[in-house]
Amino acid sequence: MLIIVLRRLLQAVMVLLFVALISFLIFRYVGNPVESLLGQEATVAQRAALEEALGLKDPIYEQYADFVLRALQFDFGNSYRGALPVAELIALRLPATLELAMTSAIFAVIFGVITGIYTAINRGGFIANLILSTSLVGVSLPTFLIGVLLIWVFSVELNWLPSFGRGEVVELGWWTTGFLTASGVKSLILPSITLGLYQMTLIMRLTRAEMLEVLRQDYIRLAVALGQSKRQVYFFHALPNILIPVITITGLQLGSVIAFAIITETVFQWPGVGLLFINAVYFVDIPVMSAYLLLVGFAFVVINLVVDLLYLLIDPRLRDGQLKRGAD
Amino acid sequence: MSGNREMVAPLLEISRLSVVLDKRHQRFKAVDDLSFRVFPGEILGLVGESGAGKSMTGCAILGLIEPPLSISSGEITFDGVRIDQDASSIRGSKISMIFQDPLVSLNPLRKIGDQLVEVIRTHINISKAEAFGRAKTLLAEVGIDPGRINAYPHTFSGGMRQRVVIALALAPEPALIIADEPTTALDVSVQAQILDLLKRLCRERGTSIILITHDMGVISETTDRVAVLYAGRLAEIGKTSAVLKNPRHPYTKGLVAATPRIDANSFEKRLFQIPGAMPDLENIPKGCAFHPRCDFASTQCQKQQPPLFEDRSACWLSNEGSETS
Amino acid sequence: MHWFLQSDFFYSFRNAPVAVASFFVFAVIILAAVFANFIAPNNPFDPASLNLMNGFTPPLQSNEFTGDVFLLGADDQGRDLFSTILYGLRISLFVGIMAVMLAMVMGVVLGLIAGYLGGWLDTFIMRFADIQMTFPSILVAMLIYGVAKGVLPPDLRYEMSIAVLIISIGLSEWVPFARTVRGLTLVEKEKEYITAAKMIGLRKSQIMSRHILPNVLGPVLVIATITFALAIIAEATLSFLGVGVPTTKPSLGTLIRIGQDFLFSGEWWILLFPALTLLALALSINLFGDWLRDTLNPKLK
Repeated sequence: MLIIVLRRLLQAVMVLLFVALISFLIFRYVGNPVESLLGQEATVAQRAALEEALGLKDPIYEQYADFVLRALQFDFGNSYRGALPVAELIALRLPATLELAMTSAIFAVIFGVITGIYTAINRGGFIANLILSTSLVGVSLPTFLIGVLLIWVFSVELNWLPSFGRGEVVELGWWTTGFLTASGVKSLILPSITLGLYQMTLIMRLTRAEMLEVLRQDYIRLAVALGQSKRQVYFFHALPNILIPVITITGLQLGSVIAFAIITETVFQWPGVGLLFINAVYFVDIPVMSAYLLLVGFAFVVINLVVDLLYLLIDPRLRDGQLKRGAD
Repeated sequence: MSGNREMVAPLLEISRLSVVLDKRHQRFKAVDDLSFRVFPGEILGLVGESGAGKSMTGCAILGLIEPPLSISSGEITFDGVRIDQDASSIRGSKISMIFQDPLVSLNPLRKIGDQLVEVIRTHINISKAEAFGRAKTLLAEVGIDPGRINAYPHTFSGGMRQRVVIALALAPEPALIIADEPTTALDVSVQAQILDLLKRLCRERGTSIILITHDMGVISETTDRVAVLYAGRLAEIGKTSAVLKNPRHPYTKGLVAATPRIDANSFEKRLFQIPGAMPDLENIPKGCAFHPRCDFASTQCQKQQPPLFEDRSACWLSNEGSETS
Repeated sequence: MHWFLQSDFFYSFRNAPVAVASFFVFAVIILAAVFANFIAPNNPFDPASLNLMNGFTPPLQSNEFTGDVFLLGADDQGRDLFSTILYGLRISLFVGIMAVMLAMVMGVVLGLIAGYLGGWLDTFIMRFADIQMTFPSILVAMLIYGVAKGVLPPDLRYEMSIAVLIISIGLSEWVPFARTVRGLTLVEKEKEYITAAKMIGLRKSQIMSRHILPNVLGPVLVIATITFALAIIAEATLSFLGVGVPTTKPSLGTLIRIGQDFLFSGEWWILLFPALTLLALALSINLFGDWLRDTLNPKLK
């Protein structure tokens, strides 16, 4: 058990170092570190001095090590635009993105699992088929189009919900939250649905497929043959077995939720990290891009790690190291 | 026991049961006009090749037939109550079941104790603690250390898991257990142990068993009576010793002759094979379903389906045979 | 056995109406895009043909200043929306096809190399693929787009933006190709005809291209169909986000971005028609791809 955990940890660190390497290469060779630190108005002498101080003439691996060490202290250099430290920019916008991602993930899981189980149990029913065919359209719709259409209906035509921004936010230390004001909560609704809809359909289809698969198993047939009720069969026998794949996918989807937040944040002008990143791409603001890559990479690796550890908790077979995971 | 069976009321009576498969506006008979009885405390073997309708009969008794399959006619009576329409009152409580593969018969994510308690509490109204105690007793009875009640299925071997499954089947204290090929997936060395265990526990409790198998060896060692199925129809039924010693239906004869026996000269003799293969559902021949493979088939066999003669054998020949003897 | 074969065909035939309908929609869209210069009333990419006075003309109504009538209305700059959609489709499809080609060539070559040669090359390629797959491809595409723009001198950024877009999307989608081809190659290279080819002294590159490649093409085509849908959505998304094609040559995504800006002022047609076109395109490719996957290779499901 401990060895498995340690091995997963080591793998995670290796992946992170690799992501950091790419991030470093972008920062060092695509961007101009001197400019990013001094701004564009610096003199030649200042530049030369900084180049020396930054160790840009040092061997590449030392520079890389230096980059990683500074990243560990949240030092990502300055943004080209406005010359603010990138770390400060990100910290300012992180709460908005995290609140959005969390809300939509919870929305996706709750509705995804419920509709998934419903459509599996009532296979062939009218409502189940309706949900399934709607979901097919939902999967084909690009995220941004869902957002725009929601704005059209609920903001422009019905005027029920705001179409951009976070509404009023409350400051809690360095964190800002939209959960505590009516306008903040209202502002969350459309972006969360936009961001969560695709994940919801994925989770629904997965839950349904897993449920159908589990219900075919012999231990379910045996439970039925031994006279157990439907409720017992679904909740005592089937649910734990579908939880594993659902948790995995949900966890892994959390990563893409953060990435797809870029799109949703752009549609709703949500002041989060994603909007920061897309503007950075637009204005070729290399330090922000490099830092965002590191941040997202970190988030993904941590999520993967947590998912793997959850796996160990739920499946006794894995805990005893009996089964090998297919992916590795 | 079978000597005075006219006087004992049967526990389970199946009469003229037909199970059909609906496929693209066509109807195929998977079980065709099947009748037999099971008496209290007896072990009835149901033997035949795969696809002969053995398992389907088992499922029909428990009301587990689902579309595209359905029961088209016939009656199933358990303890004087008809159950072919709604078997939920007896499913698990009066009749329970054991499946073939113990590796997949247990929920991998639940402790064996929890699975036992779940089944016990479904049918017997007792507290969780009491059910736990019962589960431990059951485990001890099937030969598993009760201390392992909190173990997960994957920590047991195949034979041990089948013991757990037997405990599950016995947990609701049923009057009849349908055991569908309970030893087929197990090592040969374990098969006999499991069969003995099942037989002993059922004898102690007076529980009847319908033992579904394709193995004549298992039939001869375990069962009191045997019913031979061919293509969804009853070919022959009777006391196991009588049927095996003196089979009347040519198919039963073939089955008996095809069973390997370990004796002095068995290594020199080639094992008998019944020529051909059992027809699939869609191509069951007219008349006696066995006639294309039968060495003794006459024109009558090709045209008319034989009835069951003398409550024993569905073969035109056995009719003549019994007349001459 | 024979009966089962029939029943499979029967089954797929019963499901075929969806496939036929989606293929039909897809074909109409492709033809409309290919023959855009014959169908479209005017060329929206030619600044000379535009009249700013025509801006915001609603569908099928004559403009109050110029009297021009547009089938689907005109956008903010007075471009005929119908023509713009047709020309925009061209760009979307072009970017999609080129990106899929790039991803396919790259994925197939790397997959063949990883599968056939094995060793550290295999480890390196597949490890890299694993890491890339942890990130959603749209994010990878955005990063590559940003980096490519950073590498290019500022005066070239604008002209090269379509090429940059193709490269970003292509590079973000190669992994599924490589994984599938590698897996199939591993199976294929153990077969006897490969041993025979080795015996007669064919070079590794010859064995890979002449013997293994033809045997892995079926699944590759299925993946290509699905990737094509993904690439078109990626292009639309990037263009919508403003990091795709330039606004003078709008693709569907760009048009939807423009449309969103004018929703609140009531000019709904600028959004609706490009959105419907994109939806029809994405849905038809998805449905057709699903059917193709199920029919050609049930195991991929």
